[in-house]
Amino acid sequence: MPDEPPEDDSKMQGQIQVDENGSRNDEWSICLQQIGQTQCRASFERLFAHFAPLVKAFSMNGSAVSIANAEELVQEVMIKVWQKASAYNPQKAAASTWIYTIARNSRTDMFRRLRKFDTPLNAEDIWEEDTGDAPFIAVQERRNALQVKELLKTLPHEQAQILAKVYMEGKSHSEVAQELDIPLGTVKSRVRLAMQKLQIQVEK
Amino acid sequence: MINYHPDSRMLNEFSAGSLPLAQSACVSLHLNYCSTCQRESRKLQQMGGMLFERLAPCEVDASLLDSVMSRLDEPAPLTYEAKTTATDESPALMRRLMKGGYKDLEWDRINSGLQISRLHTGDVENEFALYHIKAGRTIPRHTHKGTELTLVLEGSFSDEEGIYQRGDFLMRDAEHEHTPTAAKSEDCICIGVLDAPIKFTGWNYRALNPFLSLQAH
Repeated sequence: MPDEPPEDDSKMQGQIQVDENGSRNDEWSICLQQIGQTQCRASFERLFAHFAPLVKAFSMNGSAVSIANAEELVQEVMIKVWQKASAYNPQKAAASTWIYTIARNSRTDMFRRLRKFDTPLNAEDIWEEDTGDAPFIAVQERRNALQVKELLKTLPHEQAQILAKVYMEGKSHSEVAQELDIPLGTVKSRVRLAMQKLQIQVEK
Repeated sequence: MINYHPDSRMLNEFSAGSLPLAQSACVSLHLNYCSTCQRESRKLQQMGGMLFERLAPCEVDASLLDSVMSRLDEPAPLTYEAKTTATDESPALMRRLMKGGYKDLEWDRINSGLQISRLHTGDVENEFALYHIKAGRTIPRHTHKGTELTLVLEGSFSDEEGIYQRGDFLMRDAEHEHTPTAAKSEDCICIGVLDAPIKFTGWNYRALNPFLSLQAH
């Protein structure tokens, strides 16, 4: 696959803004807080217009099942966003990260439902909500967010492409290896290199 | 102090949601004990959020907003509020899987030093089981055909390569042959997630192999 030109990140510039107290004052975090505090439908419509197309893109991960169920998943995710908005803590996460985790959870649950998994667990049992100390997490978040965001732009295409397949398409490393027709070891080492670059130190 | 952690592939697949359910449950339980991996997985989630922001938007059907708006007044499922505030020490996920204490489980006695209880996770490819090793006793020397994840819940055990304590996470594959031994001072309870049966290799234990056929459910 030929190298794609680097993405234009200008539209995201300045979206993450966290003040010294760790509160977020970017458009979507404020919007989400308004929904949580006042059940403001106008804010929700605004949020929907921005995020529903992203959730749909996330839902269309290439498989026929996903494409057939994409809009159903968008509905499910957006309704959860509405229902859970009051639990959103802007100190702990950007609105986009928070919505992404809801989308990831819903997609995982939906796949298990479609495959008729009989399980006592749902995605929220596996990815428990962060109960950690908010101010402490806020400090970490602020540092990480700026760092990861900047570093993400510098990733070589071959690494960014694999992260996108793993995170957005929900594929395992071996599935990515198969799809790109490269050895599993290469996928693993590209992910490791990306982690090093992003300063996410997963190897201890 | 946690000394053994999931590797980069495990933690990434866990965070992205592509790890099989039984393995995800095992990683999730490790996070419960390990603040380092909690922090890393928070970063990975944040990275996921940024990749999500960069997706090329995909237009939704015009009727979708109306249909969502009309459903906003539906009552939220209880689970959103009914998050437990239980005082029980064991992780919520374990309590969900066990529906009671260790004593209430059905244990298969492998020998006088080892009992196994298979728990239902819904993952039909990976067996999720509790191993109860009596203090000072050993799981007979064995190998794995596939991948074996181990997480220590109570006590500690050691093998040819180290000593593992509560919260430690191990991933072993077919290359490893080992003899886990519980500490002399107390019984050890750990989780084992297997995608293929383990195989005892000592001549006097081979007769036990038929009891170890995989029971993923």
